[in-house]
Amino acid sequence: MTHFDEMTGLLYLEKQLDADRAQEIKTHLASCDSCSRLLYALEQESIWLRAALVAEDEPVPARMIASPRRHTSPWAWILPLGLGLGGAYTLWSGFIDPWLGQAAQAGFAQGDLLTMLFFSGAFWEGWSSVINLMGFLAVATLGVVLIWFVRRRISRNTTTFAVVMGVTILCALLLAPTAGATQVEHGDPNYTLAAGKEVKTDLVVFASRTRIDGDVDGDLIVWSQNILVNGHVKGDVIAFGQHVNIDGTVDGNVRVGSQVLTLNGSVARNLMSWSQTVDLDEKSKVGGSVTIAGAELDLDGKTGGDVLTFGSRTEINGDLGGDADIHGGPLKIESNAVIHGKTKFAGGRPPDVSPSAKLTTAIETNIQRRGPDYASPGYYWHGVLFWGASLLLGIALMLVAPGFYFDGENASKKIGQAMGTGFLTLIAVPFAAVIACITIVGLGVGIVSILLWIIAIYAAQIFVGAWIGEKILGAKVGVGAATARLALGLAIIHAVQMVPIPFERPLIGLVVTAWGLGALSLAIYKNVRPQLAVA
Amino acid sequence: MSTKTIGDMSAAELAELLSKVRSGDPEAWGELYRLYAPAIFRFCRRALPAREDAEDATTEVFMKVRQKLGTYDASRPFTAWLYKVASNHCWDMLRRRRIRQDLETGDLETLPLEHPDPSQIERLQAEHTSKEVGKSLAKLPDRARMALVLRYYADMSYDEIADTLGVRRAFVGVLLLRARHQLREVLGEGGAKLLADSAGGNT
Repeated sequence: MTHFDEMTGLLYLEKQLDADRAQEIKTHLASCDSCSRLLYALEQESIWLRAALVAEDEPVPARMIASPRRHTSPWAWILPLGLGLGGAYTLWSGFIDPWLGQAAQAGFAQGDLLTMLFFSGAFWEGWSSVINLMGFLAVATLGVVLIWFVRRRISRNTTTFAVVMGVTILCALLLAPTAGATQVEHGDPNYTLAAGKEVKTDLVVFASRTRIDGDVDGDLIVWSQNILVNGHVKGDVIAFGQHVNIDGTVDGNVRVGSQVLTLNGSVARNLMSWSQTVDLDEKSKVGGSVTIAGAELDLDGKTGGDVLTFGSRTEINGDLGGDADIHGGPLKIESNAVIHGKTKFAGGRPPDVSPSAKLTTAIETNIQRRGPDYASPGYYWHGVLFWGASLLLGIALMLVAPGFYFDGENASKKIGQAMGTGFLTLIAVPFAAVIACITIVGLGVGIVSILLWIIAIYAAQIFVGAWIGEKILGAKVGVGAATARLALGLAIIHAVQMVPIPFERPLIGLVVTAWGLGALSLAIYKNVRPQLAVA
Repeated sequence: MSTKTIGDMSAAELAELLSKVRSGDPEAWGELYRLYAPAIFRFCRRALPAREDAEDATTEVFMKVRQKLGTYDASRPFTAWLYKVASNHCWDMLRRRRIRQDLETGDLETLPLEHPDPSQIERLQAEHTSKEVGKSLAKLPDRARMALVLRYYADMSYDEIADTLGVRRAFVGVLLLRARHQLREVLGEGGAKLLADSAGGNT
């Protein structure tokens, strides 16, 4: 049979040919690449046309969205609007404004939302404040839901609605968080609470150097380069600084983010620290648990609860009252160490334990290998699962946005252009997102960009997989054929990445990511570029 | 106000709604309009070259629906019937205005029976966005545009398209292929100029 013409191809695609003729075409297609390509192009043109026709290019006139002859009460939108504005005002006056004020006192620009968010962590005062906030938000949400349910009855039973709204707003206001008494000090540039003096409330300090020799009858919250606590803090200590020394007494918890934390004093409850170097001196005492993440960790003091650490080097020479769960680099347990509970260690090499150390149980050691375990069936099973996940994403993209999928597949055929664009996108997007995060408006854009960038990196393999599949199986027509191409292409990518050749996995990963990301970027660009030709 | 969409509504709910509309319930009529007016407007917007025409056509289609609802056969999908009413109305509107430039009839001789280079078709698809295609559709002769909209937007069968456009069924495939050729011409070389020349005149 000679090649069929375009009219016959279209009628075959649209299932308008009689059975005999259709069978004849089908048989011919199996052996003719030229006709298969024509049919594929026509089918893609149909998808392309449908996508163009379905695309929302103009808004529907407002009068066609609302029903005619319907008389809705203005209360239906006035009251939710009022509630929303009230909730927004409460959030602003109760949370955001104080944060901004405190940030300004510390000398930070108020326009930087990142600063505010950072400070919200510094001013963390336990779950109670969050519960208040959540309670308020919950009641406000309940109000909105109630409005939703009663909206049909608004015009018929205004009294009931007014009562429901009144109770809801009252509950929201009662549950709205109230500001606690706090003394805020701004160092000039240093701050010292002298010995013998007492602050009767929570104390918040922003200063270059902070020294607490007196007593604080509440929480101590400090943002300072050097922090020295010699006195007595009856609440929690929350400290952010370069060097934090706690030589005094803390009745509550200690939470620290610093470069160096040194504890010589006593902490009645728990200690949590994110610090490069942590030194719990031999005189130190922690009544509760110790949770530390850092690089150099020396635990020489006495702890009452469990110890959990993540460090690149950990040395224990103190008295640990509970279990010890150590993760990370080398662990050295020295001669004076006493561990009353179980000891677990997960790291790269066996721990170095002094014979004089007193351990209740033998150390449960988990030596972690670097890199994949090629002998494990689990490694290959995970490979299959990852392949399945990427295939599923590809099929979903193909079915939900066939036009876009097709654009991406086409763009991947221009390998050089796609790779160049991909490398540029790979590098430029994070930079642009970080720069965007500096401004208050750009923060949301920056975060969303990063999230989309991560998704795009994962989706990149789909277009490369489709390209590989097409090279092997050819450009046959239909969703089934496209799925088969994608499945085969992705399987090859995943299989190649599992081969144990040094640097092969990251190299292939980089090429596939750049190539696919470029194709994706070109497809996006094609759909958002300025419409110069048709303007 | 109900927030149901067309997709949320079961066949029984739709039958009940239509029954209420037939009995003259204004609330039910409002609900039917709210549910289907946006879809009909979108259809009319694609079938007619100007937005104002589409807005007028939507209103007139619903007036016809109100008059003809008694003739609706409940065994058929309501949306398909609605699109049929809308497509007949739009086609009548174009015919009445005598603005169609293309020939009423034609035969296969006017369409070369060839085996074109698929890469040309693929290149056009790769180079043009949905928005460009949408704008180019508005520049097509009315019957070509109508054929594409009926087939690829309203999902009408060849019989329904033939009935709406008043052509023989065997001619529908030719209409569709010719419409594709015309679209490719508009989008291809010289298409940009054609679009630029006629921009603003027909939208």
